[in-house]
Amino acid sequence: MGFDAMANDASAHASNPKDAAKKKRGNRSAKLKQCKLDARREQWLSQVKSNKDGKITSTCAVSPSVASPHSHPPLSQTGKDGAETRRRREEDERDDSSLHEMSDLDSPTHSPTSNASANPSRNAQSIINILSSSGSSIGSSSRSVSDEEEEEAGKRDQGEDGGVLDDWEAVADALTAGNDPGGQESGPQMAQADPVASPGSADVGPCRRASTHPEPVCRAPRAWRPDDAFRPQSLPSISKQRSFTMGMERHWGGPSQKGILSLPSSCPICCEDLDSTDSSFLPCSCGFRLCLFCHKRILEADGRCPGCRKQYDTAPGGIDGNGGAVPLLPLRLYRSCSMSSRY
Amino acid sequence: MLDVSRVQKELAECNRDQAISGVGIALCDGGSDLSHLTGTISGPVATPYEGGTFRIDIRLPGGYPFEPPKMQFITKVWHPNISSQNGAICLDILKDQWSPALTLKTALLSVQALLSSPEPDDPQDAVVAQQYLRDHQTFIATARYWTETFAKRISVDIEEKVQKLVEMGFPEDLVRSTLKSVNGDENMALEKLCSS
Repeated sequence: MGFDAMANDASAHASNPKDAAKKKRGNRSAKLKQCKLDARREQWLSQVKSNKDGKITSTCAVSPSVASPHSHPPLSQTGKDGAETRRRREEDERDDSSLHEMSDLDSPTHSPTSNASANPSRNAQSIINILSSSGSSIGSSSRSVSDEEEEEAGKRDQGEDGGVLDDWEAVADALTAGNDPGGQESGPQMAQADPVASPGSADVGPCRRASTHPEPVCRAPRAWRPDDAFRPQSLPSISKQRSFTMGMERHWGGPSQKGILSLPSSCPICCEDLDSTDSSFLPCSCGFRLCLFCHKRILEADGRCPGCRKQYDTAPGGIDGNGGAVPLLPLRLYRSCSMSSRY
Repeated sequence: MLDVSRVQKELAECNRDQAISGVGIALCDGGSDLSHLTGTISGPVATPYEGGTFRIDIRLPGGYPFEPPKMQFITKVWHPNISSQNGAICLDILKDQWSPALTLKTALLSVQALLSSPEPDDPQDAVVAQQYLRDHQTFIATARYWTETFAKRISVDIEEKVQKLVEMGFPEDLVRSTLKSVNGDENMALEKLCSS
């Protein structure tokens, strides 16, 4: 089969320790795989690049050094479990179909296997929101640990992305060789798709700590999506705020971030757009929101809230909206600070 | 400096529903200075001011919206809280109770509300306030008369005069500015137009 040769070629490209396993899978559309690989690679590279530019983190791609430990499961793959192989094949099929959706953008090649029930939203999601795709690929890597996990991961894949599976590892491995800058940039999303793996891998290195960063992670893809859509630069700008209170606001601002869609998108005082720092800024208990610039200006003058005319508290506020916070939060905060301080 | 983008948004916002709210804002004299505006409010129904259109001179300080806009009636009004001499308005939100969250529209609506509920205990014009308290009937009659005289006719008159003078062959914008400079006196305006 000519395809097999090409499949091998693709795997060889990836210099993947799992070459053997890959061969076994009987890849029926190696060409597509290659396309996908390339697309992923480009995506990943641009992701890393933009992250480096913007200095961060939260939505960033998972680094190869982080991703590859998850791929230790080649062990179980080489275990030649027939059922698993079959399942993998099925998943590959699904994989290919979603790959087909994706690669339509890059290549005219069409997959003959694109008969799987493809969720149309997947496509856009996987292209636009790399965040979730990286998450799901991690999930898929954990799949080989055990069958249970595999099923779990499969479900997660369905729910999130459904598509991108093992090739992520291939890409990651391929990029590990010459391209390690992303090694610093392990996104918190890691833990999202792979809660099982992260505790066990906590000893791997400093970037691991980020991956055990539990809660905002799960929330992130949902809560940040509006920001991602409208201004991708906003996330980096948040994490530049390293001061304690800012970090606090950011992480305690869970509810306010959820409510971001219902919030005014511009400052009622100066009519400028509110960035996400402003959106999580709640200076007065009356709930009147304004941007930090206007707030500062008011503090320089009479210091009364424009909404209720009460004097602003001298201590910077912003916490009052979320009093019942979980005790975990300070810990998380510390971690996120330590993470961002490395940049 | 003046927050131009906010003022522009306010103007657009305010004039969008002018027919419903009864308040409108325009650039003063059709100029381009955003810091000098003219607001118009319609007299509230069931008051002596009903049917009148009152013009208000609005000047925006450089610190707007952190400082209140300066508002003053151009149209003469008989009201305890508005000076019958110079149109100065006694309204807390235009002074110490101003909030940057307020807008020109809300301020004008507040002035409109002030027309329907005078506060004689905190007067701007003591004579009017005295009359309001001691001889309410006379107050009502005077206020209505002033509305008829200054808030209705002038605008109609001016349009008629402009029309007349334009028909004589003078350019409309020149007619308007001349009429304004002579306080609406048709004969003086004609004299001025002819001599210029």
